[in-house]
Amino acid sequence: MKSPLFGSFSKPDTDEKILGPMQRISLKKMRRFPESEPVDYVVVGIGSAGGVLCQRLAKAGFSVIGLEAGPFWDTERDWVSDEKGSRKLYWNDLRITGGEDPLAFGENNSGKGVGGGSVHWAAFAPRFHPSDFRVYSEDGVGCDWPISYEDLKPYYELLEREMPVSGPAHFPWGDPHGYPYGPHPVGGVGNTLIKGCTKLGIPVVAGGPVAILAGSHGDRPHCIYRGFCIQGCKVGAKASTLITHVPEAIEYGAEIRDRSMVFRVSMKSKTGADGVFYHDEDGREHFQRAKALIVAGYAIETPRLLLNSACPGHERGLANSSNTVGRYLMAQAGNVILGRFADLVRMYKAPPAHALTEHFYETDPVRGFARGFAIQTVGPLPIAFAKQMMKAKGAWGWGMRRVMMDYNHWSSLGLLGEILPWPDNRVELAEEKDQFGIPVAKITFTLHENDKKMIEFGKKVVMEVMWAAGAEEVVQESRYAHLVGAARMGDDPSSSVVDKFGRTHDVSNLFVCDGSILPTQGSANPGLTIQALAARTADYLISQGERIFESDRRDMTTPPIRRELAVKGAFVHGIPRFWN
Amino acid sequence: MIEIELGAELVLRDPETQQPLAPKQQPGYYPGYSTLGQKGYWDATTRRAVEDRVYNVPPIRFFTEDELLTITVACERILPQSDRLPARRIPIVPHIDERLYKNEIDGYRFAGMPSDRDAYRLGIRAIEDMARSIHKQPFVDLEPLKQDFILKSLHDGKPLVPHKVWEAMSVSRFWHMIVQDCVSAYYSHPWAWDEIGYGGPAYPRAYTRLENGLPEPWEVDEQRYEWAAPAESLSDTYEPGDDPGSVSGQGGTH
Ligand SMILES: Cc1cc2nc3c(=O)[nH]c(=O)nc-3n(C[C@H](O)[C@H](O)[C@H](O)COP(=O)(O)OP(=O)(O)OC[C@H]3O[C@@H](n4cnc5c(N)ncnc54)[C@H](O)[C@@H]3O)c2cc1C
Ligand code: SF4
Repeated sequence: MKSPLFGSFSKPDTDEKILGPMQRISLKKMRRFPESEPVDYVVVGIGSAGGVLCQRLAKAGFSVIGLEAGPFWDTERDWVSDEKGSRKLYWNDLRITGGEDPLAFGENNSGKGVGGGSVHWAAFAPRFHPSDFRVYSEDGVGCDWPISYEDLKPYYELLEREMPVSGPAHFPWGDPHGYPYGPHPVGGVGNTLIKGCTKLGIPVVAGGPVAILAGSHGDRPHCIYRGFCIQGCKVGAKASTLITHVPEAIEYGAEIRDRSMVFRVSMKSKTGADGVFYHDEDGREHFQRAKALIVAGYAIETPRLLLNSACPGHERGLANSSNTVGRYLMAQAGNVILGRFADLVRMYKAPPAHALTEHFYETDPVRGFARGFAIQTVGPLPIAFAKQMMKAKGAWGWGMRRVMMDYNHWSSLGLLGEILPWPDNRVELAEEKDQFGIPVAKITFTLHENDKKMIEFGKKVVMEVMWAAGAEEVVQESRYAHLVGAARMGDDPSSSVVDKFGRTHDVSNLFVCDGSILPTQGSANPGLTIQALAARTADYLISQGERIFESDRRDMTTPPIRRELAVKGAFVHGIPRFWN
Repeated sequence: MIEIELGAELVLRDPETQQPLAPKQQPGYYPGYSTLGQKGYWDATTRRAVEDRVYNVPPIRFFTEDELLTITVACERILPQSDRLPARRIPIVPHIDERLYKNEIDGYRFAGMPSDRDAYRLGIRAIEDMARSIHKQPFVDLEPLKQDFILKSLHDGKPLVPHKVWEAMSVSRFWHMIVQDCVSAYYSHPWAWDEIGYGGPAYPRAYTRLENGLPEPWEVDEQRYEWAAPAESLSDTYEPGDDPGSVSGQGGTH
């Protein structure tokens, strides 16, 4: 066959971005703001949170610019169904990683480009449990949130429709609920989890919750089970803010300025910011004025930017009077447990994220540690699997070739365990500089007693599940996933960076809204919670109107939820439609 | 017809009868399976990227001539391919060289480690010095088994002779980096996908047989055989060291 069967969906017009095979947007028609005039909001970083913020604020009538360090993707022309070819989706710029249990970055946890981490997430979308919001009250560890589960619940329900999330009709853990779209069919790794759990009498759900379409929805086709979710879904079946919220942000007049790396927040007074400095692709420096700023750069880049914005009056870094910027950084334990089966599994098919159990999520005093963990399906493609075999089995040489020839016999499950927030797990500035001469982040990460006990216990349970599923060999490798914290929210300005609406305690028109404001992290993947918090912050900003720009006074009244600002199609099931 | 010319003879056996089998044109248990044969069903961008890997091998621009010799021979031990037809061997070193030439890093560096570029230069020097101090010969001239002893000592995190390089750089972190670079080059190649029976790109076509390891109608069923690695090698065993936690180039999962 000389040319691709279906032809290429590409179009020569580079101002037009293809977002999945059915959706196109023209950047030519996008509104552009001059740098000299202050816009209402500049959002730094258009990832999971940033995408939702831009959409909400623009739809409510504010002038908004989203500054994103990475490119504005065209899913058809830029993305590939290929493991190695997808490395450009990640934040590959230098970070220094240390401590006794150093974290891996890049491909392991951070995105760059419009959509941020939602481009390469596996899209597991469970809610946090009610107990997650009062960890200190219940267990005497970590801290409590300044909000409760009930505050976030309406936003969970809304975002589950906007993404939307597919999953079981009855999700039994935390606050039991169901999902707008039905569950996905199960692949090899889901089979393993369900078989193993059922054998051991552990409750388990299949087919979600995952932000992947089980049926076509508006301009987006359903999943085709090709298994490349963490390489970016070319199909458009997996939710990313690039395809769910950014198009509507642009439609309502937001400007998304890509390849714009913000390196300093500019202050007009001790408590007021007036814009940001950023470098464009060619290293040219720019200044964008704004009446208010929202930093949404992810748990590493957000504290880095605040620290790099130190200035007279804020010598320790911006919004850092509490000395907590960069501290309480968390990652979840993400050990991968691999089992070899006599029969074939072919774990590359189906989305890696499609079954889980939260049976071990809550504290059980018998176990001897606080909080718990979840077990989820994962589906490493060949390169990732080879690296796992290098670690788990010490494979190299002929041994590597041999175990890789058995790739199709292996299945894999992921632990997702709650590591607690500790002040010494933190982001600081390194000596090293990036391509623009700006100090890069230096991260220190060390497991504490409770964390180690949880991981030991958790990985044993997952290994038992793997054996129970019928594996004839079980091995494991340790790793970490999902960075949050490092600019946490709280009521007390002396021990937190932002208040319960994301406003920094120190600067009245500077907000932080991304994973970094999470005080604790539960054993649920954070993406849904991050987007739910973004929608809630947006509702607050909208309800406050101009007061945000003009007054230092903080109104702490909870705003009404604005369901009318949800992305279009959130409340209907769509009909697939190909553009021509 | 391509002439079969297999460097190190692997001993292949039928799992039922234990009878020796003829060498395979294509290693692995999926005879005749070709992912590239399915490229007409892939989207254009993916097809270009994968074809590029097969047909446009990058030139050497980073390693010096001497370094190139050592690293090439080391990679032939870390990811041996002597069972492959010479015309079907998968380029490894050109991809490592390209990464270092373009200074493509993984987004982080472990505190206390030199840059990836320096780590390779230092590591190669240490390997070379180890060969000369033990065997009074360059690494590339050693018998394969002696080469494996040197490499295995890096795998074990216990270099056979002390070297100042290892005072400045963690042996294990260097080992993990070189192994992960080798597997990234090898298992990103469609010929390796054929070997392990991986379906490869599937957009816009989709996978439809998700459970029980069933092949798609265009995939091939497994046909296993037994094989032994060449006697003059040490790598066909599994000896995990201490759990290293995070390593360089670590991929994401969930
Ligand atoms: C392989 C993988 C799988 C995952 N799977 C899941 C999953 O199944 N479920 C789940 O819930 N989560 C998952 N995650 C995690 C999830 O992707 C992140 O938690 C989430 O995207 C974080 O959202 P955020 O808004 O904090 O930051 P991001 O989404 O990372 O967005 C930050 C954006 O800001 C930009 N930026 C940063 N600094 C600057 C600056 N100075 N100037 C301009 N722009 C800047 C970045 O380029 C980026 O686009 C996964 C992550 C990985 C890597
Ligand atoms: S498995 Fe589904 S969601 Fe994942 S990349 Fe493929 S089509 Fe997209």
